[in-house]
Amino acid sequence: MKVLALNGSFRKNGNTEILLKQALMGAESEGAQGEILRLTDYQIGPCRGCGLCLFRENVCQVKDDDVSFIFSKVNECDGVILGSPCYFLELTAVIKQLIDRCWILGHQIGKIKKPATVIVPYATRGWIPYIFVQSNILLNVMGLTKINEAAICTQGISEVVLDQEAMDLAYRMGKEIAVAIGGKDLTYQGEEGVCPSCHDWLVRILKDRETIECPTCGVRGKLSMVGGKIRVKFEEKAWGDNRFRPEVSYNHYTYHIAPSKDYFLRTKEERKSKSQKYREYLPG
Amino acid sequence: MTEYFVKLRYYPGDALEEIKERDLRSLARRYGIQISYEKTENRQMKEGLLMESTLDKRIEDITQEVITVSGDREGKFSDCIRALYKKYRCPRTAYSLLGSNEAGEKIAKGLMNIYGGW
Repeated sequence: MKVLALNGSFRKNGNTEILLKQALMGAESEGAQGEILRLTDYQIGPCRGCGLCLFRENVCQVKDDDVSFIFSKVNECDGVILGSPCYFLELTAVIKQLIDRCWILGHQIGKIKKPATVIVPYATRGWIPYIFVQSNILLNVMGLTKINEAAICTQGISEVVLDQEAMDLAYRMGKEIAVAIGGKDLTYQGEEGVCPSCHDWLVRILKDRETIECPTCGVRGKLSMVGGKIRVKFEEKAWGDNRFRPEVSYNHYTYHIAPSKDYFLRTKEERKSKSQKYREYLPG
Repeated sequence: MTEYFVKLRYYPGDALEEIKERDLRSLARRYGIQISYEKTENRQMKEGLLMESTLDKRIEDITQEVITVSGDREGKFSDCIRALYKKYRCPRTAYSLLGSNEAGEKIAKGLMNIYGGW
């Protein structure tokens, strides 16, 4: 049983690495074998937007970096612990860079039954609104199922070891992953948010000012006030619209992306003519 | 007189509820506007999913439901499009208005920004 920790922090022996190692120790206490990858040690190039992964199945034009190695590590393991510091409202850039490269994994969305958990150390309360958006996207596009998540308030390098509660939590989360692998049980064990699918607390208000959406899952619902409390209601039938369900993901590729080739080809002459001035202006 | 004409192309999963011709006829009556409906179905059940190869197909030939709306009164036309978007949500793709005229497309696109999600 292998548990892989993906570290989105550049700092060696920083809070993220310490928490991830603590979680791996927890997983090992349940018989797992731990491994950690510091993502910034690897070359993760930008997605070039060429569309080859979409229009020619499973082909990525970027071959001179380490992304396929990272994906192979994820495929080999039985569970993942994702860690990243939050420096500015969201996770680090290397996480987003990796997300953009995940189009090639689209075919496995919702199909791989592996658990994952997320640990995010951060410094200042109120400065972390988007941390679980990115982790939810990354885990979903990798086909993993999140079973827990934690944001841990800590600041200076390695200071988290002074917070026994946080260290105990990370250890427990690591144990949970190993237990989930062993029992093949991917039940979510963390705090329930407002979205029944990704468990986050974010909602986006549509411009009709009547409808709300979970920005990550795309599921729509309604807001109301009940007894002085904000109530977020997603109808059960709306859960089926979660963009990370295999059917929805399949439809997105099949009907939103693949047919764009026809549109692209039939607008070729008009595009060529209208974009000429931009090719000539400030040519790179 | 300006003619407003739009084709709303809904692909599988785009409409949040089933598109029924009866509901469309009711909307057409309410807004005094012409609405027609056409369904193309080319999916086949494979591996537990309704599947279709669309990569090298013409947009008009793949599985879709097309609601065609036309009229010559801008206000009624806009209200009808708005009602369709509120009921089904707006179509999702960059080519979902293919086959519309310029006047109709301008209105349909503008309302997408409000009712389509962003």
